[in-house]
Amino acid sequence: MSSKTANPIMHSAAWRISLWATLAFAIGTLLVFAMLHRFVANDIQRRSDAWLTGEVAVLGDVAGRTPKDRLYGRVVREVAELASREVPNKLRSNGNENDSVFFLQAGDDGTPKLWVGVGDGTPHLAAIRAHKVVSDTPYDLNVTGFKHPFRVASVRMLDGSHIYLGLSERDELRVLRNLRFRFLCLWLLIVLFGFAIVFYATRRMLNYVREITEAASRIGQSDLSSRVPTNKRNDEVGHLALTLNHMLDRIESSVHQLHTITGSLAHDLRSPLTAIRGKLEIVLSGDLKVEQSEPIVSAIDELDRLTEFLNTSLDVAEAKADALRLSRTEVDLDELLRVMLDLYEPCMSEKGLRVDLRSAGPVRVLADAALLHRVIANLLDNELNHLPAACTVSIRLGASENTVSLTVEDDGPGFASEIGLQMFEQRVKGRDSKGRGLGLAFVEAVVRAHGGSVTASNPPQGGALLTINWPRAVEEMVDAPHSLTLVNR
Amino acid sequence: MTYHHSMQLLLVEDELEIQRFLKQSLTDAGYEVDAAKDGRAAAQLASGKKYDVLIVDLGLPDQDGIDLILQLRQSGVSSPVLILSARRSVDDRVKGLEQGGDDYLTKPFALAELLARLRNLLRRNLAASEEASRLRVLDLELDFIRRRASRGGEVLNLSPQEFVLLEYLCRHAGRVVTRSMLLSEVWGMRIQPDTNVVDVHIYRLRGKVDIEGREPLIKTLRGIGYVLKDR
Repeated sequence: MSSKTANPIMHSAAWRISLWATLAFAIGTLLVFAMLHRFVANDIQRRSDAWLTGEVAVLGDVAGRTPKDRLYGRVVREVAELASREVPNKLRSNGNENDSVFFLQAGDDGTPKLWVGVGDGTPHLAAIRAHKVVSDTPYDLNVTGFKHPFRVASVRMLDGSHIYLGLSERDELRVLRNLRFRFLCLWLLIVLFGFAIVFYATRRMLNYVREITEAASRIGQSDLSSRVPTNKRNDEVGHLALTLNHMLDRIESSVHQLHTITGSLAHDLRSPLTAIRGKLEIVLSGDLKVEQSEPIVSAIDELDRLTEFLNTSLDVAEAKADALRLSRTEVDLDELLRVMLDLYEPCMSEKGLRVDLRSAGPVRVLADAALLHRVIANLLDNELNHLPAACTVSIRLGASENTVSLTVEDDGPGFASEIGLQMFEQRVKGRDSKGRGLGLAFVEAVVRAHGGSVTASNPPQGGALLTINWPRAVEEMVDAPHSLTLVNR
Repeated sequence: MTYHHSMQLLLVEDELEIQRFLKQSLTDAGYEVDAAKDGRAAAQLASGKKYDVLIVDLGLPDQDGIDLILQLRQSGVSSPVLILSARRSVDDRVKGLEQGGDDYLTKPFALAELLARLRNLLRRNLAASEEASRLRVLDLELDFIRRRASRGGEVLNLSPQEFVLLEYLCRHAGRVVTRSMLLSEVWGMRIQPDTNVVDVHIYRLRGKVDIEGREPLIKTLRGIGYVLKDR
């Protein structure tokens, strides 16, 4: 039990289904976002590139037209500063101090001619020179001392110098970071919410399936009259419940029919048996000579045997059809065995048999007491009828967490080999067996009806070995089906 | 023990063969018996007369025996009931009645067992049957306080189980007890062993009780059971 209840939710199908569904959903949304992110980033870059190429062309134009006198620097600087105020994607203005844009005019030999921007422009020029590729389209430039790369566009002047216009990607990256952060928050929220919804929905559905399972297993064990719960919904699970109930209707009616047949058979045979037995007894109670009473006595004996045979046959038939009515009570197997041995021991020692009971103390099982009595009596009768003198019967009763095992072992001739696999079939018996071959079939049928199992074998060291395993868990299932439900919920 | 001579029984049984021989043997045993063959006739008889015990067959033609019993109980009939059942497994409703002080027998049954169960029901019905601390049958004496039996003053060396067995025989002294009665009353189980387990117990008990030089008390009635002689 402990392993099952350690974390019942983690082991439920609802948990697994929700986990996989959520995983698929999360991966899907991530992919969609990645595409969107790419698209947005490209679009932002395209806009800033358009601005850069436009501005650098204007600046090149202005620089080309302006005469190279003392005013040249001022004019170009003014134009460059004006341009930098129209930077696209600008998030906030840092006043006039603009560190997101630089303007650089460098000579053919790499000497700076004009610098507009933060600092003296040396690292920028160094970076530009280090950037070997000269292209007309804007490119990324990492400048030492700056966290964010610059996007740089250039134009070549007629005098061989170059004009560079750089735009820091800081703002662009900030926009994208913002976008990613918001998406991640939203994504987490959606995924968690989605998980909760899927988990709730599947759990509700599967709880209903579990209720059906529990109800069905209860029906299997006890009565056939109850039905699995049905809900109003017209879905697959609802259909399952309805189908199960239809099936149960049919099973119940055939079991009922079987009961009616066995019942009327029993009744129709019992009434004449009762009348015959009663009349014989009346005759016997009169004054009779021994020779006259002898046949009547044996007739009564035969009648009793016939009755017992009838009872056991019907019990076996019903138990095999899972139609045996059990009224379970708590029985201490240890105590029962002691009482039984008390009853059988004199008869066994009279026959020269030794009995040896080993039991670790009280072992309680839920069982139909009357049937259990007959099972044990059958086992002991079997030993009495088949063992030659001077044999030993050892009975061991052991209990583990889930099962109770009862072994009956003897050092006699063992089970007749021709019985073989049909050991527990009705009417199978050894060639020289005196019984009617129902004993072991009855034992097996009753134990199986209680959810247990019987195995019989001839162990290599000789003798016969019969083991009955009796479930212990049935107790909890019958006693507290609802507490089990609560544990799982 | 002559109290049962005026005892009135109502026998409700639809099988005429069974009804006839039961009525005969019950009359022979000294009871006054009225017989009914269905529930309606039984209800009519029970409303006109107070019976000491009702013997009711479960399978009546017009209604279920249990329903008849419940119906009679509701109309104020409180006499104990001995249920005769042709059903193999005893259903829970019969078990409920058994706990209420009634008893049941499954068909076919031994007449001796029917009579013994009737006596039990009648004794239960009698107010305060005082539990004696000693019981004497001829020269056999049982001391329930010391759990000791003696014969003609000589203490018998009995095991506790043998004492219980002898006690049961003594309480039914002079009457037949069957093997299944001993199994259900002494060992507490309704089984039908196909071996002579009970006979060996009786045989051993007889070896201790019927000592040499004294009259044998435990008699075997072949095909029927045992009887402890009381005269």
